[in-house]
Amino acid sequence: MKSYLFSCLEKIKSEYVEIRYEEVVSVYIHYVGKELESIGEATEEGGGIRAKEKGGWSFVSFNNLDKLSSYLNFAVKQARLSKVNSINLAEVPSRIEIIPATPIKDPRQISLEEKYQLCTRYNKILLSAKEIQTSDLRYADVHTIKYFANSEGTYIQQERFWTVLGMAAIARRGNNIQSAHEGIGGVGGYELVENQEKKAEETARRASNLLNAKPIEKGKYTVVIDPKLSGVFAHEAFGHLSEADFLYENERLLKIMRLGRVFGNQNLNIIDEPPIPGEGGFYLYDDEGVASRKTYLIREGRLVGRLHSRETAAKMGEEPTGNARAISYEYPPIVRMSNTYIEPKDVSKEEMISGVRRGIYAKGFRGGQTNLEMFTFAPEEGYLIEKGKLTKLIRDFNLTGNIFTTLNNIDTVGNDLVLFTGPGGCGKGGQFPLPVSTGGPHIRIRDLVVGGK
Amino acid sequence: MEKILNEALSKGAKEAEVYRERGETTTVNFQSNRLKSIDTSFQDGTGLRIIKDGKIGFSSTTNLNDFTSLIKSAFTSAQFGQKALLQFPSSNKINPVDCFDSQILSLKTEDMIEEGEKSIELILKQAPYFECEVEVEKTVSEVAILNSQGLKYSYRKSFYAFSIHAFLAKEKNFLEIEEEETNSQYHPYSSSLAEKIIQQAELAKRSAKIFPGSYPVIFTPKAMPIIFQALKRGINGKMVQKKVSPLLSKLEKPIVFSSINITDDATFPYGISSSPIDGEGMPSHPTPIIREGVLKNFIYDLQTAAILKTKSTANGVRGYDSLPSPSTTNFLVDEGEMSLEEMIEDIKEGIIVDQTIGSGQGNVLMGEFSVNLDLGYKIENGKIVGRVKDIMVSGNSYDLLNRIVGIGKTSRFVGSTKTPPFYFSKISVSG
Repeated sequence: MKSYLFSCLEKIKSEYVEIRYEEVVSVYIHYVGKELESIGEATEEGGGIRAKEKGGWSFVSFNNLDKLSSYLNFAVKQARLSKVNSINLAEVPSRIEIIPATPIKDPRQISLEEKYQLCTRYNKILLSAKEIQTSDLRYADVHTIKYFANSEGTYIQQERFWTVLGMAAIARRGNNIQSAHEGIGGVGGYELVENQEKKAEETARRASNLLNAKPIEKGKYTVVIDPKLSGVFAHEAFGHLSEADFLYENERLLKIMRLGRVFGNQNLNIIDEPPIPGEGGFYLYDDEGVASRKTYLIREGRLVGRLHSRETAAKMGEEPTGNARAISYEYPPIVRMSNTYIEPKDVSKEEMISGVRRGIYAKGFRGGQTNLEMFTFAPEEGYLIEKGKLTKLIRDFNLTGNIFTTLNNIDTVGNDLVLFTGPGGCGKGGQFPLPVSTGGPHIRIRDLVVGGK
Repeated sequence: MEKILNEALSKGAKEAEVYRERGETTTVNFQSNRLKSIDTSFQDGTGLRIIKDGKIGFSSTTNLNDFTSLIKSAFTSAQFGQKALLQFPSSNKINPVDCFDSQILSLKTEDMIEEGEKSIELILKQAPYFECEVEVEKTVSEVAILNSQGLKYSYRKSFYAFSIHAFLAKEKNFLEIEEEETNSQYHPYSSSLAEKIIQQAELAKRSAKIFPGSYPVIFTPKAMPIIFQALKRGINGKMVQKKVSPLLSKLEKPIVFSSINITDDATFPYGISSSPIDGEGMPSHPTPIIREGVLKNFIYDLQTAAILKTKSTANGVRGYDSLPSPSTTNFLVDEGEMSLEEMIEDIKEGIIVDQTIGSGQGNVLMGEFSVNLDLGYKIENGKIVGRVKDIMVSGNSYDLLNRIVGIGKTSRFVGSTKTPPFYFSKISVSG
């Protein structure tokens, strides 16, 4: 592959060209209730070319590798159509690397029969709790070999196994429908999804318990959020604002997001770190062939960094961080997060809750959205906190607020960091789902708007 | 494709179906008011569905050079597949549907660049403070289907999409206005979309306050998909088959206000979901969903319909890499008699909901929603007085669809939903 890609690149005259090619084989199993909705294997092969001429970028994706040379010509010609201004790329060393994946249990060595049995077992557990109406269970293992070559002489070949299990139990009593979800797995082999019977049991129990929960009155509360929610908060509410492609050509936003600005209290550190083995957002080289690294976004409450592609780094005069990612060969790389988390401090969850007179303990994550200024999250379940104790189970509420105000209202950071990955992912610019992990310790937020009945 | 079909049958499949999608998409992207990149994607994918020993098997690939592994995977999957109750359709009479425009095929990238530039120019002339992201996209594709019952059909499809996202970041006051048009036919959208952005920017210049409480509300067509998402899921044959739809026992019963009529119709000319057949070769036809408030039909694909001993409504929607599953096509909501101006004039104190964040969370199936208002306006004494933000709007869509004061007399496509604005008597607003 290396010599083929380089030989095609050599024939092309352009300021900058890169080729990505992916070979993907995936196995999927999907249960809804007692029925198997789908089971099978899919093969996908395809490539993407990015070319840069003075004017701008051109991107071409394709399935037929034999015609690479003609696609390259097309890409360069297309790039010449945009003749506006110049794009520079931050310098990075050129490299040649071949990175194999080493899962403990190679999913390709496990028969479909065995995977089917595993899913059937978990699915039965999901359906066995009281008042469970239906389940939704998705299993997938994906083997990818990704080839990257560019006109600067870099060649990187990365292999990856992605094995995930998503479980949902849906309980119903009349018009009261409640669901609980669990995402398991990430970058790695079949071992990640084995022995998860307990998780399945817990998920079903959670959904069924939620039927007894009570809605809550709308209003402002002090809210303690669990690691799942604090991770999503770090990612959704703050992480996206740190993606330099939102900022680098927008002077007004850049003024708001200036480095050094205080966003939170001294205990608050937010980090993006791709090279954490096993996590959903793990990678060593991004889709521009740049080595990944740990980046502090917020340190001691101050904005200290952001996530870059080579282009945004050059434009802003900062170091590239290796955060240019594409969900597949069909898309060009854009600035994305990887494993984003809030760094743990030293307060236990119990201490945090005991300091609240009246508030809410919110757990789990059903969904969320932000528009760079506001966010809304739907937790899975929650408890009312009264005089420092968890009392009533509550349901169907959401958390919403202004991102900047909320960051400033984080008054306590816990000591129990957990990172979560799963079958879902992050969406941006039409590219969904991108594998990421999010995490954090428990954190406490003052004056958060809780919407409910 | 014939080769794959014959090979699958000769290997022992009782029935087989090959589905192939080939296409070319070109997107011109503008960021921060300038042309940023031009993307072209060439796609070619094939899915194979078989029935073997009474079970369904499926696999897909983008590499047709190696179709033996495609067939092998389909056979493996059939060992565990669902019991096949469906019967593939034979060559039914298929009427052509307008879903291809040769003007899109011949549209040059240079022309798309020009259209994009024009829209930005128009916006900046009136509102120089905006950072605009513009996407102009054209797609031309060919879908072909072949099955062992003798069906062999292919058709061409085109799309033209134009979207503008105008953004202004001010300390504690971000403004985002999004407008989009998608059609199977070419239209020069640059001026009309730019106009819409400018109008909204004018309205958003002033800000207004609203206290928590219940207020009359107007949902613009852009916001109406929030209201229809529960209904769309409720009529989905899968939800009916799984017995989770709240509409299970509601066929032929009134479920919404009597002035509402909704039809699912893939034969509607040039909608984004228009096509002569569905994903498994069933000829498209209009399906009444709501008539005078009464629920008339659920929507089905072949397999789901067969499980419930009913007929497919030609709603088996799929890509090459997935099995068909029931989904709405063009979701057409009839117009009413009230103009948007009349609705506004009628309101003493209320709001207009246009863009929201956080829809699709919570108990969607039962109609519940609670969204943060991303773009909306306050009405006082029959006039729009300014933008309201930092509020949550919540309610139940079935409840709202029974509290209609007026239905707008002009409708537009928002994705594949064609709807007018709706005026509801009250909605809950919180801080």
